[in-house]
Amino acid sequence: MKAYLAFTKKEFIEYLRTYKLLIMGLVFLLFGMMNPVLAKFTPEIIKAAGIEIQLPDPTALDSWAQFFKNVGQMGMVVMVVIFSGIMANEFSKGTLINILTKGLKRSTVILSKFTVASIIWTLSYLFCFGVTYIYTLVFWEMTGLHQVFWTFFSPWLYGEFLISLLILGGVLFKSGIGSLLLVGGLTIVMTILSIFPQFHDTNPMTLSSDNMSLLAGLKDLNTFVPALWICLLLTVLVMISSVVLFDHKQV
Amino acid sequence: MDILEIQHLSKRFGSTQAIDDLSFSVPEGSIFGFIGQNGAGKTTTMKLVLGLLKADQGSVLIDGEKVSFGETKTNRKIGYLPDVPEFYNYLRAREYLDLCGKITGLSNELIKSRSDELLSLVGLSKVTKKIGAYSRGMKQRLGIAQALLNEPRLLICDEPTSALDPLGRKEILDILSQVKGKTTVLFSTHILSDVERICDHVAVISHGKLMMADSLANIKANHASESISLEFKTPQDKEAFMDHNEIKNHFILKTEGQTGLLLQTKELLKTEALVLKILVDHNWLPIKFEVNEPSIESLFLEALQ
Repeated sequence: MKAYLAFTKKEFIEYLRTYKLLIMGLVFLLFGMMNPVLAKFTPEIIKAAGIEIQLPDPTALDSWAQFFKNVGQMGMVVMVVIFSGIMANEFSKGTLINILTKGLKRSTVILSKFTVASIIWTLSYLFCFGVTYIYTLVFWEMTGLHQVFWTFFSPWLYGEFLISLLILGGVLFKSGIGSLLLVGGLTIVMTILSIFPQFHDTNPMTLSSDNMSLLAGLKDLNTFVPALWICLLLTVLVMISSVVLFDHKQV
Repeated sequence: MDILEIQHLSKRFGSTQAIDDLSFSVPEGSIFGFIGQNGAGKTTTMKLVLGLLKADQGSVLIDGEKVSFGETKTNRKIGYLPDVPEFYNYLRAREYLDLCGKITGLSNELIKSRSDELLSLVGLSKVTKKIGAYSRGMKQRLGIAQALLNEPRLLICDEPTSALDPLGRKEILDILSQVKGKTTVLFSTHILSDVERICDHVAVISHGKLMMADSLANIKANHASESISLEFKTPQDKEAFMDHNEIKNHFILKTEGQTGLLLQTKELLKTEALVLKILVDHNWLPIKFEVNEPSIESLFLEALQ
């Protein structure tokens, strides 16, 4: 436990002193402020551009639609890039050898790294949510929202899944490129699956791509339950595989 | 009592036999030089001892306890300094020692007192910058400090001096000499003068095979012959000396220039007395008479032949 806390603290210091925490914070702050503003002024921008389209007046839902578009796409990309070296940096620099010879359990390394990445992801997500929430309140009444908890929980869980994949990729390939390729490859597979409606309910990607229909009340929560379970199960499985594979890895 | 025993160890990487039936042991309290050319298998052996690599055959015992791959139990008795120690660049020395101490399970007070003690031993107690800004020598010294933090029974250093300038090398060797008595030191190197300066036991390996392993004193006594250099006044004196019955039939002689002569012997004291007696008796008084100790280079080359 003491070793876990010490290594976790070291991970935090790393993100703090290498400015990765700052970058995450700034990017998600920017998204948080952009979402409501973009939703509010999109019709006027279009009008100013001289395009004649009749758009309904924007509502709080449009602001949240922007939120999920930004966080679910660009935000996740930034998160994945920032955490891509989560295992690889330790391998390529050889910093882990020394720590492991001190008797740190390999599973502790994995667990610590997952903990810190999760906390940073959670805080960034909540931060972005908070900023969007406040600005949205400035412009609109917060009405017409359904299944608020599950709508916001789903992309977060999907983010956790991506973090676990980054760790597995790092353990497998000992490189940041390996982590990125694993996440990128699986994202492509899930994107292709999402074309087929029959996979909608079981594809983890649904959690981040289709949750607006949950918030708008267009879809029932039941249609999301399988994807939620599968995503959770996959995250746990990927983490266990990472620990087992790492235990048998020669460093 | 041997702190480290290596028995019939073998390790293969693809088609390369990195370690081939290697056996030797390190007596407790010694400074043990592990000598070999680049690529001889020194680092591989050390990683096997640390359980970082999986042995194909054979076993490693630390203080009588068997090392198994991935298992970190035996590592509690070991301090390890990698060849190019890499630390987290964004931490400070004290923070790094704190991390190491907590991983090893030391109490906070002990970590603090050991850190103070070790940082002053390696001369880093007044350095406050982050490790990323350290020179190679400073990293190497921090490496020794972290390796000694848990008061290990065995300190393993992988080429601790190879990448350093003469001053840095001297500092590291001085620190290792100071550690003697408190812990056993096993260090690999290809710099023979370092071995000569601080080691009392050596093992030489080549292409993964053990060429020799013994105390330095024994090796010097058994392996290489000692020699006497003579410089005569005239070439005539030298030839007459070389023609002397007791000389030409009993020793290997090597001419060095017009008046110089090198005489190799296994029994130095007897030979010295004999040679001096002959020189005096015939009045071939030399202008130089010098006893050459066997150099570690000659031992090394002999072992590799």
